[in-house]
Amino acid sequence: MVVVTVPRSSEASETACRGGSILDAVLAGVLAVDREGRITLLNPAAERLLELRSMTSIGRHLDAAGPVGRDGELIAAVLEDLARVTVERPSERVVEIHPGGSAELRYVRLRTRCLRDHRQESAGVVFEMLDVTEEHKTNQLKNQFLSIVAHELRTPLTGIKTFSTMLAKGMLGRLEDRQQQVVESIREQSLRLEHQIDKLVNLGHIDSEEYSQDLEAIDVVDVVRQALGGFEVTARDRAITLLAALPDGPRVARIDRSEVRRAVQALVENALKFTRDGGHVTVTVQDTNAEQLEIAVRDDGVGIEPRYHGRIFEKFFQVEDPLTRHHGGSGLGLFFVKNIVEAHGAAVRVESDLGRGARFSFELPIHREAGSDACVDAAAPITPQSAATPRVPAHPTTDDR
Amino acid sequence: MERTVLIIEDEKLIIVSTQMVLEAAGFRVESAVNGEEGIQKAKSMRPDLVLLDIMMPGIDGWETLTRLKRDPETSGIPVIIFTAREHARGHQKSSEMGAADYFRKPFEPDELIELVEKHAGQRV
Repeated sequence: MVVVTVPRSSEASETACRGGSILDAVLAGVLAVDREGRITLLNPAAERLLELRSMTSIGRHLDAAGPVGRDGELIAAVLEDLARVTVERPSERVVEIHPGGSAELRYVRLRTRCLRDHRQESAGVVFEMLDVTEEHKTNQLKNQFLSIVAHELRTPLTGIKTFSTMLAKGMLGRLEDRQQQVVESIREQSLRLEHQIDKLVNLGHIDSEEYSQDLEAIDVVDVVRQALGGFEVTARDRAITLLAALPDGPRVARIDRSEVRRAVQALVENALKFTRDGGHVTVTVQDTNAEQLEIAVRDDGVGIEPRYHGRIFEKFFQVEDPLTRHHGGSGLGLFFVKNIVEAHGAAVRVESDLGRGARFSFELPIHREAGSDACVDAAAPITPQSAATPRVPAHPTTDDR
Repeated sequence: MERTVLIIEDEKLIIVSTQMVLEAAGFRVESAVNGEEGIQKAKSMRPDLVLLDIMMPGIDGWETLTRLKRDPETSGIPVIIFTAREHARGHQKSSEMGAADYFRKPFEPDELIELVEKHAGQRV
């Protein structure tokens, strides 16, 4: 983490000098611009990565500084971030670059934060950039491996799930009661296994810089209904009342179908796990206002002490001691929920206390409005064509399943 | 009239299970175990719909889709991508390449039937 402070007194020059030599020595590239988008700071690492020259760049507008390299991919990404980051919404991503316009592909992690001065007013934007090529390649290998393993597991699972579902639904003739129970159990276990495989792959993807959403404008109610499909038998066997309070009509939002379904599944799985036999789990979809809808999963189970509310979303975290705990699970479910929901620009809310059940919820925007708290002045010339490219390209979809 | 679905898929188990589901819903089902064979069958049979796997030996599903969409004889047949593997922005990619839809394995038989009913015969 690189901290850039704004000097406030006459002693500032010495501090700035010392700060300057530290910045010269660090591995990460650091670039800062003022409110008008003029370059105020550029260390040697940033100069190399951006292919700029500090001698000619300081004081110039970022988009006028011009990259030395042919492609200027990183500076295009910097300009893009400059146009979209806000105090509340900093940015962190990995950018692909070809140094000097060569064929060599390298990956740079770009973090963009708004700066505030001592009066808490906007003082421009600071960019940190670090070459993470080796780490990125290792991650890619890990994800390829996970993806192949998942494919190999899903293929036989497709057969088990399809055959057991056909039998359970009477598509191959009527079964006796005991036979019916057995095939329903096989189907339920296949759904569980499918969910576990999804989690395994998701673990790789969410940790990865490649993690990207597959957004479509689809009916959220339909996705929630699909997510509930695998839990009827568990709920029935444990006499838990699993209720879905869904609106009559569709509620369309731009979401990643599989991801949101997984998030809802993880919340329901979690609710069932911590609800006693005979308890209640309710899944709700409702409009919060004209622009937002809320998905909530409520249970009347054991509840969570408020001191754990922040930690339950950490990877592998379990409230119980792993050696003595009564409930199964990998400690990944809520971690995925948090990541998936945040990737949709929202936040997960938890309301719970020990012995009082729990309610997990998140909101999804029906219409997305542009933020009004930009960190640079709107008049600053920072919107070249490259800056207008959204991270996930909008495209029309004909899918209205 | 009986509608025909061509499954292009290298896994026998998937062919058999998918075929059972679609036949139960009244479709006639043919299959091909790789992309080349699939393209030939699509030309000769003119099915109402193609279910296309991605990871196959020889030419993969993306290449098969490209060739089906490039050939005027087969370009009008709706294709549903049918995959067990994660593909970065797979839904968007398949839509951009001309596929009618994108469907994940393992699947719910009812959802597969609904999707095939929706697209079968909807020549583009």
